[in-house]
Amino acid sequence: MHVTVDVKGEDTYELELEAVAGAAADGEATGDPADATPTYADLLREVELSPHEVSVLVDGRPVPEDQPVESDHVTVLRLIKGG
Amino acid sequence: MSDLRLNATQLDRYSRHVIMDEIGPDGQQRLLESAVLVVGAGGLGSPAIQYLAAAGVGQLGIVDDDVVERSNLQRQIVHGDADVGRPKVESAADYVAALNPDLDVDTHDTRVTADTVADLVAGYDIVLDASDNFATRYLLNDHCVLTETPLFHGAIYRFEGQLTSFTNERGGDEPRPCYRCVFPEAPEPGTVPDCATTGVLGVLPGTVGCIQATEAVKYLLGKGDLLEGRLLMYDAMDMSFEEVPIRPNPSCPVCGDDPEIESVGDVAYEGTCGISAD
Repeated sequence: MHVTVDVKGEDTYELELEAVAGAAADGEATGDPADATPTYADLLREVELSPHEVSVLVDGRPVPEDQPVESDHVTVLRLIKGG
Repeated sequence: MSDLRLNATQLDRYSRHVIMDEIGPDGQQRLLESAVLVVGAGGLGSPAIQYLAAAGVGQLGIVDDDVVERSNLQRQIVHGDADVGRPKVESAADYVAALNPDLDVDTHDTRVTADTVADLVAGYDIVLDASDNFATRYLLNDHCVLTETPLFHGAIYRFEGQLTSFTNERGGDEPRPCYRCVFPEAPEPGTVPDCATTGVLGVLPGTVGCIQATEAVKYLLGKGDLLEGRLLMYDAMDMSFEEVPIRPNPSCPVCGDDPEIESVGDVAYEGTCGISAD
């Protein structure tokens, strides 16, 4: 599946979920990339963001980072605190 | 044009408001009878305080426990060089007094905590979040949700700003989001940089704070479309604005279908602003 990761205020990334799955499996040394289920955290890792610093939204609502990716378009918002 | 409730000086001072159909003497009177609490007299709070005062918001509360530092002056424009070392609330109150003698200013040289938030917010119609830390931001959100107090949010980072407005009206046909609907918990301390470590464009909070004040004035007047349900992203480098739709989150810990937070006492605001283990 093709996934668009729109990091607001920064870049938009076009990712292939199968490639993300492979990278996640490699990172976790689970062996077979086909068995890996990419999560939203895996997407964030692909775009070099930490779940600590952002919120991942699907249709305007946050999704848990440990959930499998089920949407082809996700929005990433940075938490910023300055005032 | 005359209105007995506005005296001649007020009719003159606010003439550019009074002349507009959308405001008029009644709208100006409404502003003069309004009370706004501004939490933070720094980068965002400075322009917000200036324009709320100039607009004639009758009662302004200002909360901040910091003193003015020279490094603040690049962006915190209610303070001047002679104010370095003074409490920010005193400096800001002096600015307001010089700008508009119509107003009552309450200064609170303290930090907002779970123990003090109710007393601080009580008596104000709305709250403007110009804070610079997640503990205060989540605390204000939670208290304002629980008390259905409108909250006007802004935050800045380097060249970027985020803004949205929460009316916190509950029980209507259309559910309303809150800050936790988008950002359920604060990040671990130290994982998100602040202006002191990354820097911030001095004029950036001017733009963002002015938009917060604009939203507040519109709300008080009951005019226009608020940024509710929309997070406005401002990029000063690109000079671009973008809206991100935000929706009420049924799993939101404070305003969702089965909220875990029923009191600000339920939350440990020092860390990730999650539910206290106690």
